[in-house]
Amino acid sequence: MTALILGTYQLAWRAVRETIRQPGVEVGNLFIPLFFFFVTVGAISNIAAPALGIENYEAFQLPVAVTQGVAGAAAVSGVAIVKDIESGYFDKLLLTPMPRLAIVLGRLIADGIRCMAFTSIIVAVLSFFTSGMEAGPLGYLVVIALAGLFGVAYSGIGVAIGLRTGNAQAAQAGFLLFFPLLFLSPAFAPKEFFDPWMEFLASINPVTYLLEGMRTLALDGWEWDNLAGAFASAFGLGAVTTALALWALRTRTA
Amino acid sequence: MTAAHDAAIGAERLVRDYPAVRAVDGIDLAIERGQVFGFLGANGSGKTTTIRMLTTLLRPTAGRAYVDGLDVQREPAEVRRRIGVALQEAGLDDLQTGRELLTLQGRLQGVPRRNVDARAAELLRIVDLEDAADRRIGTYSGGMQRRLDLASALVHRPRIVFLDEPTTGLDPISRDQVWRYVEQLNREDGVTFFLTTQYLEEADRLADEVAIIDAGRIVAQGSPAELKATIGADVVTIRVDADDGAAIARAVLRIEELEGLEEVRTLDDAVVVYITDGSRAIARLVTLVQEAGLDVREVTLAQPTLDDVFLRATGRHLEVDADTSAPRAGEEGA
Repeated sequence: MTALILGTYQLAWRAVRETIRQPGVEVGNLFIPLFFFFVTVGAISNIAAPALGIENYEAFQLPVAVTQGVAGAAAVSGVAIVKDIESGYFDKLLLTPMPRLAIVLGRLIADGIRCMAFTSIIVAVLSFFTSGMEAGPLGYLVVIALAGLFGVAYSGIGVAIGLRTGNAQAAQAGFLLFFPLLFLSPAFAPKEFFDPWMEFLASINPVTYLLEGMRTLALDGWEWDNLAGAFASAFGLGAVTTALALWALRTRTA
Repeated sequence: MTAAHDAAIGAERLVRDYPAVRAVDGIDLAIERGQVFGFLGANGSGKTTTIRMLTTLLRPTAGRAYVDGLDVQREPAEVRRRIGVALQEAGLDDLQTGRELLTLQGRLQGVPRRNVDARAAELLRIVDLEDAADRRIGTYSGGMQRRLDLASALVHRPRIVFLDEPTTGLDPISRDQVWRYVEQLNREDGVTFFLTTQYLEEADRLADEVAIIDAGRIVAQGSPAELKATIGADVVTIRVDADDGAAIARAVLRIEELEGLEEVRTLDDAVVVYITDGSRAIARLVTLVQEAGLDVREVTLAQPTLDDVFLRATGRHLEVDADTSAPRAGEEGA
């Protein structure tokens, strides 16, 4: 157990250091969600109140920007794993006595940290446009924590693809999976306005619960049911994707 | 002879199959502690597959492998704790500095935090990378990367070290440095080395024992001196101008009648003759070749080398690519 914790810590710190040393890679992950936030708000906010009953559409969109940023940031890990495989560094890690689980956990935890850092920046920038957070300053911290958990969960997809295929393009494509999840969620309007089939799909989409949990904090304050749903969806998705990543690691090292 | 499971490194009928090809075909090994063992073979002969099985990176299809008395498949983590490995591709991380890489590798290998910085500094000094220690590895030359990779294999002071073609692609100076580190560690600390190479000179200089692998099988094994002694004769190589198969065959027929002949082989534009007292036989050999209708371009007389051993064992010379950093087609996974 000690070896697992030590290995995970060392490899997580290495992955975080990677991020610090190539800030250019991360600029796009910050730019894209901010860009989409402003164009979406610019296009819809004026009709949001009469059409959707949402007075503060900027706050309504804040969780979308956060999850989009997290998905972009978390997709980097799959590519990083492939790079390690191609360079032979992955073999060097496999040749140490630490539990191999640490290779995956180190990456996932580093992504959680990265995603929390990204979210802090996104939230800080957008706080100037969203008329504050109904849940107060602590609400921001919960949004950041949820982003970290979602980052760990979403990173598992890219890591699993990277380990299974050893192909950077395939690992990068893990990010594209986010768009169906986003568009099948109440990203732009509350799901009460959806057609029944769309509402059903949204109801089984973990991103829905994540958005609703964050929105609760931004628009309504502390509503525990929605928050519990958000945490449960992040943990549930994380359990599935981490299991996938571990399966991919096992098949690669078999 | 030491049994495989008691040896520093052992194997019993080790086999590895890939789809449509058997890369390793029933290898037996028993390498004694403190030995430098040279594993000599061409690209695609099965060297790398063997080293990957012995170091827990690849499961054997059949057979057993042992390191320091441990079954590699049953106790892989303990095996990894006891070995150091530098693979053919220097597996480094361009974004880390040399010092960071050694420190991280040391921690992952279980070197205590209080010791790891000093150990990294010591290794950086040994491999002459002190000045570059805090630069990112991406800025290192190929030779520097190879030396750092070797240092990272030694960070936890393993008693058994596997080096997969450690000098392939290096310039002569860097190659000599690597050889000196290996000799020093073996001599002073008794470290056992398993060294794959396609350089005959490397095997000749470093190895106490050499095994030649061809098409997944060990075809010759012994100390370099023993192997060369198996040739038992001088080697006369006669290069001819014509590519006339019939004339060469005639020459071979006549040479085969000579007294003291061990063996005669043809190789492209050359006739290679293994014969006792080669200096006396040269004049007669040249005459016979000329009488067969061939023009002699060059004649050399040499004591047997590992190349001659390789030629006799495999039927061809061990050729190394000009750019040996890139494996030939067919080397992947083999």
